[in-house]
Amino acid sequence: MTGVLADGYIPFLDPISAVHVWWYVLIVPLSFGVSVIYRALRVPSLDHFWRGVGIMTVQIVVAMVALAILLLILVETVVPRLPSE
Amino acid sequence: MPMSTKSQGQFTPTAAVLAWLWPGLGHVSLGQRKRGVLVMFGVLWLFVGGVLIGGIDSVDRRDDPLWFLAQSLCGPIALAVDWTNQTWLKHVPVDPVELDRLAEQGDLTITSSLDRKGLGHVNEMGTLFSALGGLMNLVAILDVLYVPARRWGRSQPRSETR
Repeated sequence: MTGVLADGYIPFLDPISAVHVWWYVLIVPLSFGVSVIYRALRVPSLDHFWRGVGIMTVQIVVAMVALAILLLILVETVVPRLPSE
Repeated sequence: MPMSTKSQGQFTPTAAVLAWLWPGLGHVSLGQRKRGVLVMFGVLWLFVGGVLIGGIDSVDRRDDPLWFLAQSLCGPIALAVDWTNQTWLKHVPVDPVELDRLAEQGDLTITSSLDRKGLGHVNEMGTLFSALGGLMNLVAILDVLYVPARRWGRSQPRSETR
């Protein structure tokens, strides 16, 4: 039994190895989950709920990408130009 | 049992406990069924997604105590996953000499346990997902702990706005 378990992938028991390559894509489902809970708690009316969730998900992803680009520029361009002393 | 306050809000510790026991149950107990279902969906999305990505090892009170603090806010489901992790995976000896000896003896249980150890980005993302689910559930718990009079678009906290 244990030998069989060691050979194959079992969902919820084994980690998904492919995440090592495209881990950053997981920002999308992560943002989606946060958006669902946030909007469920904060909006007075649940009309057009999923549309709002979609917009908020996109907003979070775009903001994170923008922040990543900003940090990349800072580290690759600005910091090397700073005087060493 | 809801208790009235001076500002005509409700202090509802029972709902907060229910919200911890099962995500969204606090809102359901206050008559906010749709909100409760959505909160449940969102928290379970993050928590179950985290365990799916990082495996059962992404919930680990021994190796990641601070992360587990956040994960435990998801409720007994997090405690159950951790208990399963501790009893299924964490029983392997940490002494490398002992590990080698058991491996030479062909102990497949040890091999199986080590295969399930999450590492790198997989473990990070799995842990992050489930911890974020717990932290968002904390927001939901606080949301039902005290309900102001004019919450959810109406004057009565127990009414549901659709």
